[in-house]
Amino acid sequence: MTATRSFGRRSQPMANFPPSDGSMQAHEPRDEGARPASGVEQSDLELVRRAQRGERGAFDLLVLRYQHKVVKLVARLLRDRTEAEDVAQEAFVKAYRALGSFRGDSAFYTWLYRIAVNTARNTLASRQRRPLQYEAGLSESEQSAVESRMRHTDTPEAQALSGEIHQTVNRAIGELPEDLRTAIILREVEGLSYEEIAAAMDCPVGTVRSRIFRARDAIDRILAPLVDESRE
Amino acid sequence: MTDRIREQISALIDGELPEDEVGLLVRRLERDAQLRETFGRYVLAGEAVRSPGGQLASQGFVARVCAAVEGDAAAVQPNDADAPTRSRWNRPALATAIAASAAIAAVLLVGRGSNQVGQIAQATLERARDSFASLPLGQASSPTPAHSQRLAGYLVAHSQFANTLGRRTAWSSVLASDPGLARAAYESLEAP
Repeated sequence: MTATRSFGRRSQPMANFPPSDGSMQAHEPRDEGARPASGVEQSDLELVRRAQRGERGAFDLLVLRYQHKVVKLVARLLRDRTEAEDVAQEAFVKAYRALGSFRGDSAFYTWLYRIAVNTARNTLASRQRRPLQYEAGLSESEQSAVESRMRHTDTPEAQALSGEIHQTVNRAIGELPEDLRTAIILREVEGLSYEEIAAAMDCPVGTVRSRIFRARDAIDRILAPLVDESRE
Repeated sequence: MTDRIREQISALIDGELPEDEVGLLVRRLERDAQLRETFGRYVLAGEAVRSPGGQLASQGFVARVCAAVEGDAAAVQPNDADAPTRSRWNRPALATAIAASAAIAAVLLVGRGSNQVGQIAQATLERARDSFASLPLGQASSPTPAHSQRLAGYLVAHSQFANTLGRRTAWSSVLASDPGLARAAYESLEAP
């Protein structure tokens, strides 16, 4: 997935104005007495702090990181692939608006998922309230938006691409040298930290970092043409 | 794009990049679209490994979110979060208040029976109109027919207590200065 917009512009520091629809009601859970924050959580927190200071690029990286997770979560809740991206987008916008109120008591992704779940719930509730809409009743712009979403998410081509991406990545991993394959699986599938992987593989942390990068780079060399091709 | 930077991106995704390197990399990512694409593909690959068959965000999803966030940020100026709301609400209220002050001035002066009432009312109304014209433009700032009608009704109701000569002078002057107001006043008089 790629971001096509320019990240160059910076905005002012965030204001704290949570949305009023109940999706943000003081629901930052506390990890009381919990495990220490993982590297990803600390990294997220660092990006959040930067976004709170007005670095929009930092927030965009959080979107890049969590886009698939949030879309997947929302799609499962709504059981509607077409609507999932709209709701996921709404969740990200709400998160951005409320970022000023995020204190870091919980992991960022926990907070973000909660917003996504509440946004999806609101959508489900409003879906029950509103009558069925037929395309004939939509304005031209609404019709165009629906068609655009259909084009992006719900076509057989899009689903096939998704399947192809899975196959390509798994094939690429299968072709990696054993030390790279082990490192990337321990990281991506098992979620171990570099230190834990280093202990498991009996090598320095720096080597783990390098192996994981080389594994990703090898996968990317196969994945990039597929992603580029689908964009054309 | 060097291996070192891509390795930093990989470490950033895993939350393993030293804190002092994060800032520089984030700024580099802001500037470099290719690096962001690499970041996005690394994330995509990880997602594909973890959940085969799960729905992935479509091409362009991030761009749409960023555009929405950008639009949102533009709509709400962070340094003065409630300013747009305040001005949106206050513009018609201010305009109505200025117009009402003109009407009140006219009504009060009518009571004195001065021949200058019309001129004073006219001048006040012109000042009000100038002030209104200097306000930021926007749909919401336009006085609605309801505002004009309410103002006209106010004038009509209060003019009943003014003497006839002064009332005619001030009233006709105010109405003559604003055809819309005259029409609204006429309609309010005609209304049951």
